[in-house]
Amino acid sequence: MTPTLTGTKKVVTGNHAVSYGAMLARVQVISAYPITPQTQIVELLSEMCANGTLRAKFIKVESEHSAMAALIGAASAGARAFTATSAHGLALMHEMLHWAAGARLPIVMADVNRAMGPPWSVWTDQNDSLSQRDVGWMQVYCESNQEVLDTVIQAYKVAEKVLMPAMLVLDAFVLSHTAEQIEIPNQTLVDQYLPPYQPVYKLDVNDPRSFGALAPPDVYMELRYKMHQAMEEALTEWAKADEEYYELFGRRYGLIEPYRADDADLILVTSGTVTSTAREVIDELRAEGRRVGLLKIRVLRPFPAQLVREALADAQKVAVIDRNISFGMGGIFAQEIKSALYNTHDRPPIFGFVAGLGGRDITPKVIQEIIEYTESHDEPEDLIWVGVKR
Amino acid sequence: MKKPIVFTSEREMPPMAVSLADMGHNRTGSWRYLRPVYREKIAPCKNACPVGNDIPRILSLVSEGRYEDAWRLFRETSPLPGVCGRVCYHPCESFCNRKNFDEALSIASLERFVADACFDLEDRIPERPKRSEKIAIVGSGPAGLTCAYFLAKDGYAVTVFEAASQPGGMLRLGIPPYRLPREVLDREIELIARWGVEFRTNTKIGQDISIEKLWEQHDAVFIATGAHRGRALNIPGEELAIQGLEFLKAVNVGKTIALGKQVLIIGGGNTAMDCARTALRLGAQPVVVYRRTRDEMPAIAEEIEEAEHEGVQFEFLAAPVALRRLNGKLEVQCIRMQLGEPDASGRRRPVPIPGSDFIMRADAVLKAVGEEPELSFLSEHVETSEGIVIERAHGILERAGIFIGGDAQTGPSTVAQAMRSGKETAQAIKSFLRGERKPKPKKLEEALRVNFSYFVHQPRVPMPHMPVAERITNFSETKRAISSERARAEAQRCFSCGVCNSCDNCWVFCPDAAITRIDGTYEVNYDFCKGCGVCAEECPRNVISLVEEEL
Ligand SMILES: Cc1cc2nc3c(=O)[nH]c(=O)nc-3n(C[C@H](O)[C@H](O)[C@H](O)COP(=O)(O)OP(=O)(O)OC[C@H]3O[C@@H](n4cnc5c(N)ncnc54)[C@H](O)[C@@H]3O)c2cc1C
Ligand code: SF4
Ligand code: SF4
Repeated sequence: MTPTLTGTKKVVTGNHAVSYGAMLARVQVISAYPITPQTQIVELLSEMCANGTLRAKFIKVESEHSAMAALIGAASAGARAFTATSAHGLALMHEMLHWAAGARLPIVMADVNRAMGPPWSVWTDQNDSLSQRDVGWMQVYCESNQEVLDTVIQAYKVAEKVLMPAMLVLDAFVLSHTAEQIEIPNQTLVDQYLPPYQPVYKLDVNDPRSFGALAPPDVYMELRYKMHQAMEEALTEWAKADEEYYELFGRRYGLIEPYRADDADLILVTSGTVTSTAREVIDELRAEGRRVGLLKIRVLRPFPAQLVREALADAQKVAVIDRNISFGMGGIFAQEIKSALYNTHDRPPIFGFVAGLGGRDITPKVIQEIIEYTESHDEPEDLIWVGVKR
Repeated sequence: MKKPIVFTSEREMPPMAVSLADMGHNRTGSWRYLRPVYREKIAPCKNACPVGNDIPRILSLVSEGRYEDAWRLFRETSPLPGVCGRVCYHPCESFCNRKNFDEALSIASLERFVADACFDLEDRIPERPKRSEKIAIVGSGPAGLTCAYFLAKDGYAVTVFEAASQPGGMLRLGIPPYRLPREVLDREIELIARWGVEFRTNTKIGQDISIEKLWEQHDAVFIATGAHRGRALNIPGEELAIQGLEFLKAVNVGKTIALGKQVLIIGGGNTAMDCARTALRLGAQPVVVYRRTRDEMPAIAEEIEEAEHEGVQFEFLAAPVALRRLNGKLEVQCIRMQLGEPDASGRRRPVPIPGSDFIMRADAVLKAVGEEPELSFLSEHVETSEGIVIERAHGILERAGIFIGGDAQTGPSTVAQAMRSGKETAQAIKSFLRGERKPKPKKLEEALRVNFSYFVHQPRVPMPHMPVAERITNFSETKRAISSERARAEAQRCFSCGVCNSCDNCWVFCPDAAITRIDGTYEVNYDFCKGCGVCAEECPRNVISLVEEEL
């Protein structure tokens, strides 16, 4: 379907793509604390608030913990709330992330993937966001600036439907500070896609209720069960939201995206911007006649286990690239894939590669080496370090 | 409370931990053990001001440029703002909360500014019932003037008896015009007279009229005769020295006094400073001889500094032991002192160093070692001890209806203290005439906890002074007025301690929505206040404070 109302083309950085996404989503409360490489996101948003482009309350705070706390208050009162952070800022929010999820507040946040210190680093890797894997937030890893913008809008759609908060993740510098041409969707269409948030329960002095009170053991577990149910439901909602978005704007991303994987013997699994590099490598190898394919994991939470199983069902070998490390175990995406496949019959051997930590480039050559290693080995290995100077 | 809701399955439950029923019944106020109390408090400056000037409100008016309103507010508590703005030692400033932040408010100079700005204004005198009682006030210093003002305002017939030829007491006789221009004093006395106060000058009680007679002719008598008898040095040749206060009085009433060039002033108090600075203006080279060091001088620091700036010399740790006349000059034999153990006043006692005698020469010697009340005209009626009248219960002397106050009661004090005494005596006289007991003074809660985070640093407006060279040749006022812009800027520095200015902070910050706004003031809903104290913490000016809940 061709959109009737066109958007505008603009060359923007990944960070500003986030800002435009939040603007189009008509967020009502923004609270944030600056941190490299996230700062430009909230800088532009604060300008928008100041010049009236965006009618939102911008709350300046003294820490990320407070930023999230402020949004919890705002969202509890029924506002569409937004923030962005990175690395240590995200870590500082940890307690409040649990609270936002447990309180079922559809807050959306952008996390610019940055390596954790010490040693200080400002470059990309996924340990910051993956450390928050189990707090009850949806996590979506983006590959391009366009996807970043579109994901902000989609995230509100899903979050407000299932009442779970959502975090979209973009790589530091590779996306955050790199400009590319994107389409800024038409506001009228976005409004049609994303109507105002209508909370079922909200803080209201005229209808006083208690929120987040003590829950004894006889009800606590039920509330946790419901959170998990909401995440399950979110799998369907992401698919629906993506389709609906496609109808209006002509773009969709899927929860996962198989690329030239149909008849592939070897499937490479990636997330974030590594995916774009991998696409090139796959194209080159395909041109040589090699049966290699790619699977991009976009939504990590809720984990689309069934989709992953189907996508990898016919592969002979699977190679997972992790730009993160769970010390004492290995790459986290690899663990997720393995656990999704474990209860299936005829599962392929899975090779876990850790590469590109702290922003080290994952070049086409690195990806080629990973593929070659996988092809030339029969026994799967849990953890293969790529490019460590030993 | 309604029937409890029991969930039998997760499907009946809301997605998050939220109560399905209205929680209005849950009076969370019962959790509280601290209670925020919204109550305006007295600013420490106002509490320290002996006449009780409502400083925060006055400064707020000044900051808005409402000088007339500010002046009228001054006149509710004090008939002498123009005088106090110049000569009061401003205890208000010493207690100003702002001094813990940057610098105290320049309250006295603002008081002077308001009085100057409103120099031509007059009190609005309302029609009021005339009272039959007649009151005599002996002495027209700040104590007598203030008492007269407040009694006359209430319709009493007041006559002030003054031995000198013009009213004003020490304000006219002691304090030199370079600190207090006489037109300011004259104007404020004139405004007191407008209320119907009669002044009988050149009338000395005990000489022209007896105290007995005065008492018979009046329903109440207030003795406010000050402390005018200069203390003696008790050294040989003492008669060769002039009493400092007598010297000042003479100059102040316009007599020409020839002192000569070299003038020694014995003493370290305010009278000594005024003697030195006056002598300087008469062309002398004054040297102040003081038996301790600069640190122990009883004079106000500001006065010492001014004297130093103007070129007054100091001879510390020296005391005269004898005076002689030699070849038309005075020879003062002095002894060197050193500081010993602290005395009752906490200052270190001066101890003579044996054999350290030395000679200072002078054309004139002024002694300014303190004054005491002279109350011989009362001797039959009151007890005195070292010249200081012992206060009886409620200030009422043995003979009912005779009151005493000001320096006559306490010994040398300050203008503002004398005014407080005059004001309190006016109240005591009213109670006495109505046959009531004097009302007990209320204990007031001070606003001491200012949240500095809400204020920005800004330096105190400096007081402009006339250049020294211009000052020392004449008796015109040394301090200059501040401009209207500066006055407003200075007044804007005031925190308004203890005075609510409806900033809404408590209302905004209360996490339990337990603060209600009512016409610019606030009320705490104790049914829901959990006592977290955020409102008290965020109240910039200490209007809200926390008190322990009674169990
Ligand atoms: C030189 C000097 C400078 C001072 N400077 C300051 C200053 O800068 N700031 C400050 O706060 N304080 C100052 N003081 C102190 C202050 O002036 C006094 O504390 C204050 O004036 C006392 O007021 P009062 O009304 O009790 O008495 P006074 O002001 O002394 O007034 C008493 C009046 O009673 C009259 N009187 C006395 N006996 C009789 C009688 N028998 N019959 C009729 N009338 C009589 C006297 O003539 C006099 O007019 C100064 C004092 C002196 C001596
Ligand atoms: S009378 Fe003195 S203490 Fe009172 S306000 Fe004026 S300067 Fe301050
Ligand atoms: S800040 Fe103002 S109200 Fe507070 S003590 Fe100083 S002058 Fe008084």
